[in-house]
Amino acid sequence: MSYDQLFNVLGLGVVACPTLLLTVLGVSSLVGRPLDERMMSRLTQLAVVTGLLASVAILALMLMTDRRLIEVGLGNWLVLKEQHFHFTFKFVFDRLSVPFVILSFTLCGVTGAFASKYLHRETGYGRFFVLYAMFLLGMVVTSLAGTIETLFAGWELVGLSSALLVGFFHERATPVRNGLRVWTVYRVADAAFLVATLALHHLTGGGDFVGLMGSGAWPEGQAALTSNQALFVGLLLLVAAAGKSALVPFSGWLPRAMEGPTPSSAIFYGALSVHLGAFLLLRVSPLLEASMLLCLAVIALGLVSAIFAAMAARVQTDVKSALAFASLTQVSIIFVEIGCGLRYIALIHIIGHACLRTLQLLRAPTLLHDYHDMENAIGGRLPQNATFWQRVVPEPLRRRAFRLAFERGFFDTLLADYLVRPFIKTFQWCDGMERRWTNLLAGRPASDADPLQAPGGVIDDLQ
Amino acid sequence: MAPTASPERPASTAHSPEDAADHLLHLIEHAAHLLPAQGPITVFVHHNTLHAFEELRFDEALLESQQVYGCQPFLSEERYRRELASGRIKEEDLIAVLVKDLDERADDLIGLLGTRFHLRLAMLKHSLRTAPSPELRWVVAETDALRTYRSDVPPEIRKRLTEGTRHWIMRDFRDGKSAGQAKDSPLDAMIEQVLDRFDCASIESWSDDEWESVCLQLLWRLSFDGVQRANHTAPPPPTPRRHRDALLSATGIDADELANDLLIRYSSAFLDQGYAHWPLPDRDGGFYQSFLAVYGQPGGVVPHWLFGVKREIARLQREQVSALASIEESLQLLGVAPQQQEAFITASLLALRGWAGMIWQMETNAEWAVRPAPRGTLVEFLAVRLLLDRFAAAYVSKEYLDDEGPLSMLRERAAAKHAERTPTGKTQLAFLFFQLAQTLGILPEELYRLPVKTWGRLADEIDAFSEFERRRTFHLAYERRYRNQTLDAFAIHTRGQKPTAAAETTLPSFQMVCCIDDREESFRRHLEEIDPTCETLGYAGFFGVAMYYRGAADAHSRPLCPVVIKPKHYVEELPIFTLEEVHRRRARHRRLVGTASHQFHRISRSMLGGAVTALVGSLASAPLVARILFPRTAAQIRKLFGQIVRPPEATQLLLERSQPAPGPEEGHIGYSVEEMTDIVERTLRDTGLTSRHARLIIFCGHGSSSLNNPHESAYNCGACSGGRGGPNARAFAQMANDARVRARLAGRGLDLPPETHFIGSFHNTCNDGVEYFDLDRLPVTHKELFAATRRTIDEARRRNAHERCRRFESAELSISPAAALAHVEQRSEDLSQARPEYNHATSAAVFVGRRLRNRGLYMDRRTFMSSYDPTQDNEEGAILARVLAAVIPVCAGISLEYYFSCVDVQGYGCGSKLPHNITSLLGVMEGAASDLRTGLSAQMVEIHEPMRVLFVIETTPAVMEGIMNRNPVIARLCRNEWVQLATLSPADSTIHLFRNGKFERYEAESDQLPETASSVDWYRGWRDHLGYAVIMAPASAAAVAQSNGKAPR
Repeated sequence: MSYDQLFNVLGLGVVACPTLLLTVLGVSSLVGRPLDERMMSRLTQLAVVTGLLASVAILALMLMTDRRLIEVGLGNWLVLKEQHFHFTFKFVFDRLSVPFVILSFTLCGVTGAFASKYLHRETGYGRFFVLYAMFLLGMVVTSLAGTIETLFAGWELVGLSSALLVGFFHERATPVRNGLRVWTVYRVADAAFLVATLALHHLTGGGDFVGLMGSGAWPEGQAALTSNQALFVGLLLLVAAAGKSALVPFSGWLPRAMEGPTPSSAIFYGALSVHLGAFLLLRVSPLLEASMLLCLAVIALGLVSAIFAAMAARVQTDVKSALAFASLTQVSIIFVEIGCGLRYIALIHIIGHACLRTLQLLRAPTLLHDYHDMENAIGGRLPQNATFWQRVVPEPLRRRAFRLAFERGFFDTLLADYLVRPFIKTFQWCDGMERRWTNLLAGRPASDADPLQAPGGVIDDLQ
Repeated sequence: MAPTASPERPASTAHSPEDAADHLLHLIEHAAHLLPAQGPITVFVHHNTLHAFEELRFDEALLESQQVYGCQPFLSEERYRRELASGRIKEEDLIAVLVKDLDERADDLIGLLGTRFHLRLAMLKHSLRTAPSPELRWVVAETDALRTYRSDVPPEIRKRLTEGTRHWIMRDFRDGKSAGQAKDSPLDAMIEQVLDRFDCASIESWSDDEWESVCLQLLWRLSFDGVQRANHTAPPPPTPRRHRDALLSATGIDADELANDLLIRYSSAFLDQGYAHWPLPDRDGGFYQSFLAVYGQPGGVVPHWLFGVKREIARLQREQVSALASIEESLQLLGVAPQQQEAFITASLLALRGWAGMIWQMETNAEWAVRPAPRGTLVEFLAVRLLLDRFAAAYVSKEYLDDEGPLSMLRERAAAKHAERTPTGKTQLAFLFFQLAQTLGILPEELYRLPVKTWGRLADEIDAFSEFERRRTFHLAYERRYRNQTLDAFAIHTRGQKPTAAAETTLPSFQMVCCIDDREESFRRHLEEIDPTCETLGYAGFFGVAMYYRGAADAHSRPLCPVVIKPKHYVEELPIFTLEEVHRRRARHRRLVGTASHQFHRISRSMLGGAVTALVGSLASAPLVARILFPRTAAQIRKLFGQIVRPPEATQLLLERSQPAPGPEEGHIGYSVEEMTDIVERTLRDTGLTSRHARLIIFCGHGSSSLNNPHESAYNCGACSGGRGGPNARAFAQMANDARVRARLAGRGLDLPPETHFIGSFHNTCNDGVEYFDLDRLPVTHKELFAATRRTIDEARRRNAHERCRRFESAELSISPAAALAHVEQRSEDLSQARPEYNHATSAAVFVGRRLRNRGLYMDRRTFMSSYDPTQDNEEGAILARVLAAVIPVCAGISLEYYFSCVDVQGYGCGSKLPHNITSLLGVMEGAASDLRTGLSAQMVEIHEPMRVLFVIETTPAVMEGIMNRNPVIARLCRNEWVQLATLSPADSTIHLFRNGKFERYEAESDQLPETASSVDWYRGWRDHLGYAVIMAPASAAAVAQSNGKAPR
């Protein structure tokens, strides 16, 4: 077996494991024969361990053969010759994707092991693991994507599973509402992503990263675009990345996402999916090189988000929100690093941060225990000494800063009351106008115009 | 905007402002007692969730609390019916409860539905469906409801219905029609209409299926018609108390979502005990002032619903309106009449009951906390709540009702809009009739002939047996089954005993005194099975030593005694003299490590520090993987490293003071010899341990250690205020070993033989570990005895773990005792374990009396056992009164908290543990932001059977009556039936049951108990609750080993 074949087999194995897992878990519950807890957790273990071993093997082989770029294609799925369009599923293994996919497998594996005990006897056990498998598949596909369409497919899987897991406890209203909010923000990000994809296709005639970014394995590579084209596509991708990574002004969804069971909060919003935006920028980093303005935009957005998130993290009184904003701070700094062209540092930062935050979030319910231990070790109350902040900054300014941080930068209010509300109002107005108009044409009185809510719950007219 | 939310000028309110203010304060304080009384979660103490209602009888309290809290009072009807089907409730229980309940009203005839008794029994046995009218319309139109009989209609009734309908139609209608007679009553027209839907030409050849359908359609039409004609009106729905309620039913929009979101974050920032880096500005100014300061400042973005709030705040600040005055203003603006005030304030506070309750606890009951709330915070909270409520209500009514009128009449206007849509409930009633007619076999003809008056009576009768009443009946039957089983078991087991004769003359090999906790029942039983010559006793786990205790590695003293006692004495653990230097060094290291980990904890959440920690964060993957995949090994490794900083093993208690008065200062720490003597004497006399002392007496406190469990303290000893009872046992043993104490005891007529030695120990109920204290002081003569005893205890630990494992689905039923011990050890160290143990989930009864009365009875870890010897007590039961004064309130508190958290885990309990989020270091929220959740989690109560705890006390009814007369707390709990009470005669096996205020002789249902060779033979292979059994012969270790195929390690 030649190395190429071996790479092909292993590469397909990495993708096949989560795909098979999702298929088995999903189909078994779809056909009404859900697996039992033990079986599900065994299958998950098996899939994650196999996938992890395969990806580690690829890493080892790459190091041995000193190859830096391996492509595994699944062929063209759609070719429109006249339009010069082809739709390809292709996976690449390079210095960016291999560490990221290993990280995904490791953290998902640990979280899966955690969840299999934590969710024991929970009615949604099966649902959780189906969504978990979907998430894992999304992460793997996104990490390994060799074309922008492939990346988009993985991106969507991650988004869908995340939103559904936020609303995991769907018998209560708040998780569902917050899940919907996450989903809405994701839609905005996805729309930007989709436009960027189309633009790329239009500009380069294909979504292939290798073709797009020029030859050379990551992180070398030259964008085959002009500076202005790169700026346009890059800004769209930046919006997509900001939505996914909860940067300003989308930050509101991140603390709200802490509605699901602790393990899913840990893996998704603390560790993996929140870093996807940064990953996207890393993947298209040649674009950044092509446009200085784009780099500046990334740095600026990262800086603003980092400062905001660091402030917000300081006023959170509940452990999960505090960790959410702490995560956001680091993700923003990673954006700054990417903007500055420090790609390896950004990658190391992502990996370290994801591991640390997962551990912290999984331990979150132990907080009181830990505080108690720390108090005992110190031999008294934990020091609440006045910080630099309290000593130096004047009171009115501190109060303002507190309010800004406490209201989470007002971003939720701004988006909801000053962007979404006028939008909805406009369309409600249009709806009303249309009804009037159709009523006029139909010759009905205008008072019938609003049958949105049927009157009466009294149906004593069952005869 | 929202002009109605802010007054242009505040109107003056009452005639005499002071009186009005006082009155208001009084109302708020009154309402505060209805709030959950759970303090910070680190000191979780079980107590009756409905403590505020204890003045009422249990069932009355449930009815009333249902209106106040909107929570479920019982399990669901469906759940009870499942229990009926599974045999947990028997039909005879239902019958007995109904007969007792209805008394002479049972045999009244109710129209054609039979007697009242039969009607009610039918309504209990058959699951009668009800739903909102649109759903019922769908059921009638789209399901088989009008085509086939309900599946629970027995064949003979099916036959009767079908045949009866055929006869009637053929006789009265076909005949009438063919004869061409005019039937002009509307009922007849309706029946014709029904028949017209079928192919009337072939009526004679209609199949049974067709007749079934005809019968059902007729039954439904006639029921519906009858109900319409009946002069029966459903009670009007309660008028909405708060504006939010009125708006919610009128628009479906919850105004509280707006206000709560802000108020939750604000309350948690105010109450924060030091988690956030930045404290709330102006916190010292109080809740209200600080709110005004933060939200009154210029700038910022104001959401639509709060438009105008800055102007309003500026006015409040300018005119220096106090919190109380602001409440008065709000009440007036909201149009709350004086007589509505109490209900309105209560409902407003209960809207965020968890937070409001925590504020009340922090201001009244938490002076020890880092940041207690100042007095009056709840009033200020209410002021802010009402201010926000005004804005929220104005916004919702403007947005969704186009209503910008004054808030004061908003409730009436919204209710008027809603009133058009209030259902009459007649469809539901008709559907009930329709179903009852099927199950009871009532023919259409009979309904047809029913006069209007009877219809009304039937409707009243069905209404009278409301859902609440049905569930109450079920519940009583549910309790009755367990009660009868228990009382039978006691009656049978004590039969033929000769308890009054002096017990055997041989001395026990050793005596073990555990806490009364239900979790120790199995532990004691296994000890007795392994070593039939030993004795076990139960006493409240603080063993009479009420103290503030500070361990060698503890930062603070904490009370170790029941919450009702305020300790006066302080005790400290010190390293022994030769190890003081080591202790100091390790304490220094510990402080370094502690400070470092605290800094890391903080820094990892900040910006630059976070970046640095994250860059090396990959190192975190090692503990992450290890702790989750191999929790037990990881814990052992951590323990190994922990030795470097742990205080030295050899320590001693500073137990005796040199100064006259007790206190926390040097020289005042500890007890005097006289006080020690009092404690030892009282505990020994209470437990009846006054003679036949073994050479070794072990006192065993208990506690529980678990990870990832904010409720950890709830698993500890309830008699130690949610602390661990080891130090109490240790202190007691040290006192009882003191020669001076013994000399004084002898002077009081209590002789402790010199060869008797006491040892303090600690049982960890989560990992079933037992540790012993002060073994260095064990006399050399006792070494061998202790070694043997320790072997017995180790075997009991394994067996106890084994018995517990049958409850854990994640442990195989075939697990061996040694593997079971490893399994429970892993549970306590596992970060991902949501059920480290089941705590009191199986508790159901309390026995107070001599252990020999129920020794050898398998009680399935469901019984608290307190030792008490009636033969050593005086005629009034002075000792018993003392014992019960603690046992009844504590056990009732545990049982009732479990009861309420179990029947409504969302309302009274804290819901599922999985999305819990620790906030302010005080409690848990669900998800990102929610009300503070109090009570027990779904994971804690999932195997609980919600019943009032059954006390079986070894005494006479007369003595018990006397105790109730003297102790108002006991009287209230027993007479108001918050607990069930029975007495077991000290002389024979007579049992009296306390019901409706008097003791009645209990007649046993059965006269035989299953017999089994050992506990394991009885519980093996079974996960559910088990009945009682007599354990015949003491099992040897070999027998267990054989049954499991493996030798115990």
